[in-house]
Amino acid sequence: MKLDPLTQKKIRRFKSIRRGYYSFLLFGLFLLVTIFAELLVNNRAIVVYDGESIYLPTYRSMIPGTTFGLDYQYETNYRDLKTYFAKKGRSGFVLLPLVPYNAFEIDLKTKQYPPFPPSFEDSHYLGTDEIGRDIIARLVYGFRICIVFSLLLLIINFSIGITLGCLMGYLGGKFDILFQRIIEIWSSVPFLYVIMIISSIIVPNLIILVLISVFFGWMGMTWYMRTITYKEKSRDYVLAAKTLGASNTRIIFRHILPNSISLIVTFIPFSIAGGISSLTALDYLGFGLPAPTPSWGELLQQGTHNLQSPWIISAIVTALVLVMVSITFIGEGIREAFDPKLHSVYE
Amino acid sequence: MKKILVLLTICWVSTTFAKEKLPDDIKWLTNNSSPVFASKDAKKGGTYRTYIDSFPLTFRLVGPDSNGSFASVIRGLNMSIIGMHPNSEEILPELATHWAYGKDNKTMYFKLDKDARWSDGKPVTADDYLYTLKFMRSKNIVAPFYNNYYTKEIDRVIKYDDYTIAIVSTKAVPELHYHVSLDPTPAHFYKQIPKDFVRRFNWKIAPTTGPYYIDKVKKGKTVTLKRKKSWWAKDKRYFKGRFNVDKISYKVIRDLNTTFEYFKKNQLDSFPVNLPSYWHQKSLEMKAYQQGYIHRNWFFTHTRQPSMGFWLNQANDLFKEKNLRYAFAHAINMERLLTGILRGDYSRLNHHYVGYGKYSNTSIRARKYNIKKVEQLMKQAGWKRGSDGIWVKGKRRFSVKINYSVESHTQRLVVLKEDAKKAGIEMVLKRLDGSSSWKLNLEKKHEAAWTGFSTGMRPAFWQHYHSDNAFKTQTNNFTNTSDADLDRMIEAYRSSLKVEERIRLSIQIQKKLYDIGAFVPAYKLGYFRTAYWRWWQFPKPAGTKHSDELFDELGLGLFWLDKGLKKETVKAMKKGVKFKPQTIVDKTFKAD
Repeated sequence: MKLDPLTQKKIRRFKSIRRGYYSFLLFGLFLLVTIFAELLVNNRAIVVYDGESIYLPTYRSMIPGTTFGLDYQYETNYRDLKTYFAKKGRSGFVLLPLVPYNAFEIDLKTKQYPPFPPSFEDSHYLGTDEIGRDIIARLVYGFRICIVFSLLLLIINFSIGITLGCLMGYLGGKFDILFQRIIEIWSSVPFLYVIMIISSIIVPNLIILVLISVFFGWMGMTWYMRTITYKEKSRDYVLAAKTLGASNTRIIFRHILPNSISLIVTFIPFSIAGGISSLTALDYLGFGLPAPTPSWGELLQQGTHNLQSPWIISAIVTALVLVMVSITFIGEGIREAFDPKLHSVYE
Repeated sequence: MKKILVLLTICWVSTTFAKEKLPDDIKWLTNNSSPVFASKDAKKGGTYRTYIDSFPLTFRLVGPDSNGSFASVIRGLNMSIIGMHPNSEEILPELATHWAYGKDNKTMYFKLDKDARWSDGKPVTADDYLYTLKFMRSKNIVAPFYNNYYTKEIDRVIKYDDYTIAIVSTKAVPELHYHVSLDPTPAHFYKQIPKDFVRRFNWKIAPTTGPYYIDKVKKGKTVTLKRKKSWWAKDKRYFKGRFNVDKISYKVIRDLNTTFEYFKKNQLDSFPVNLPSYWHQKSLEMKAYQQGYIHRNWFFTHTRQPSMGFWLNQANDLFKEKNLRYAFAHAINMERLLTGILRGDYSRLNHHYVGYGKYSNTSIRARKYNIKKVEQLMKQAGWKRGSDGIWVKGKRRFSVKINYSVESHTQRLVVLKEDAKKAGIEMVLKRLDGSSSWKLNLEKKHEAAWTGFSTGMRPAFWQHYHSDNAFKTQTNNFTNTSDADLDRMIEAYRSSLKVEERIRLSIQIQKKLYDIGAFVPAYKLGYFRTAYWRWWQFPKPAGTKHSDELFDELGLGLFWLDKGLKKETVKAMKKGVKFKPQTIVDKTFKAD
């Protein structure tokens, strides 16, 4: 695939902005970790060899303990399996992920009460939360949900926002005025109250939460798109296209949208940051996804309630700051790379 | 003159109720022999400083806004006609010295104490009881509940003379004394109940029969009660050594953390430290505790326990089957939750009716976590484990929505959920806000409800387990239990007027309920914990079997202030002298 020279120039420019570029690499790493989390942070072993055959438990259905000669029918405890093999004198090995816990497992001790501090011995490298779940696992799987939420939110919000904004700017007139008023009224509905009411009647899942957030979040993009379309519409090249007999659809999709792409792209990182923070806020307030879904907001809430166990709050705050800052730097980098003043697109 | 009065009264009574005279064969009962529970060493004096979380909206006993958190104070200012021993639950004399049961099981006779006085010095007489009915039935008090109760449940009050009355229930009931216990209302104070009663009497301070009266009020800020120096009952057998402080001041503090700060700064005398975070951490970290100025007391009681647990809806496809109900019960790892997370602060509740004395079946033990049993039960029912370990049968999957509302219970349920998964049962947690969640249960749309009912004096089986209330909305039969045998037993229990028979039936019913297995009991508290400044003294033991706090200033009022100790402590605090930190664990009444 060959990129056009302008895009190449933008990418070069982005790479040259160090802060943004390294943030991009860091964020990419986070994404990779969360996509392949099952191999890195999981209670299921990556590879098990029991002397006869090889098992790869990660991406398959549960293997009951009886398969390995244990006396229970529920999911095999692979951490114990290692010692079990050794005790039975069986040849075989178990390769565990880096953090051998998943986000739901409750690891309790006798005579001691969670939260437990970080411990290498127990492989809880960042400690556990208030009911004994591993914090790294909660962070990693929580991040996955955050990102999925933000991406879904972004796609739907932008589709609605860009379409409506373009139409308002391009068509103008009564359509424009009507939607301006609708958006103004819509914007004044108190988002948090509605969420509180809804989540008291039904238990929200990811899709419902996205839809509710879209319900109150699609307006933001319309204003920008309306303005930019308005501006582009009066430019000579649009007039030229019109004179040549291009249809409205063609003008919008072939001429106006490509010219406003820099605006859309610069908004993406900030919108993702917004999505993450709004899901975290909802979970923090208890109106988000139902327990025991791993969630950053819930972790943040636990942290503030258990200030005497500083490993909880420090882990989640560090994670939040890292993600938010890197996204902001990426956003800055992109904005600079796409700055039209450097490229003078339409001279 | 007196004779004429009596005659007149009799005439009046007879014209109203057609000839009433005291039966000849009446057997008067009283109680001067139960052990006392207050201390002989108690000294009078001092101020007890405590808090309320909001200022009351009224000082009325009845009517709109009168059932707020301050209601217990207003009610506590008055005595009842008879009392109940806080350990044995025998009847004690209060405003009446003697009582007797009528043969019809509907009428109860009382001889009133002639010493009893209102706080304005007027004697408490039979007319005040007659007036209670008139008052409580009046539409002007705007209290439909009382209007209804005193019409539907209490038939009438009969006055034989100024100090002898009978209270008649509309129907025969067992243990009539709980049913007809009626407080007097000061007729001379309210007189004709005006149309604007609610407004006019909103802040009026009515005369009381109890040991305290409302003395000073700073609207929105404080309410101060003062002890009546020559209270009529202060030297009576069961009231000696009680209600010792001269003043009780209630300060409005809206937030629990702020309240705790006030307590630490010696602006309040006691603070409830029931919550684990307060008991295991915050109260231990107090300087005043470490220096021995504040003591802590963990007091175990043996009283009726709320029925916290899972209510399995038998209208649900899964819980129709007994095996699945049992399996669910055996999949709940309550022990791990109680010992691993809740620090042993709670103990296992064994069944719905724990702590009802003789009415409780103490041989029932809750089903324990046991994966082997679950497997056995499920295989019997023809189920097998699916690919994710959850039981399946055809298209059915053993996945249960748990309907609950208290946010702080989320973590508890999450712990249970993880262990249930090992047993092959999936719990889906569904938290709604309080009223929506309750509504769902009342409409019987839940699969399993995680909630609890508060207690009553005696086990109430009909509302929870009779088929009259099954498969109907707006009833408390959350399990949709409908069983012909059980119905017969419950009906017999309800209609029986013999205590022994009722006890026998109650125990049988509980066994039956255990066999049905639609309620999976969770945990009980069975104690209270208090922190207080060291100058407060208590009898031994400091509370009673049925106490709910050490400092129930208007309920039992057993504590007193030791002035010498207070002086010593204040001096020590100034000089920085330390005492030994003290945490008392009192297991006198611990159940099991």
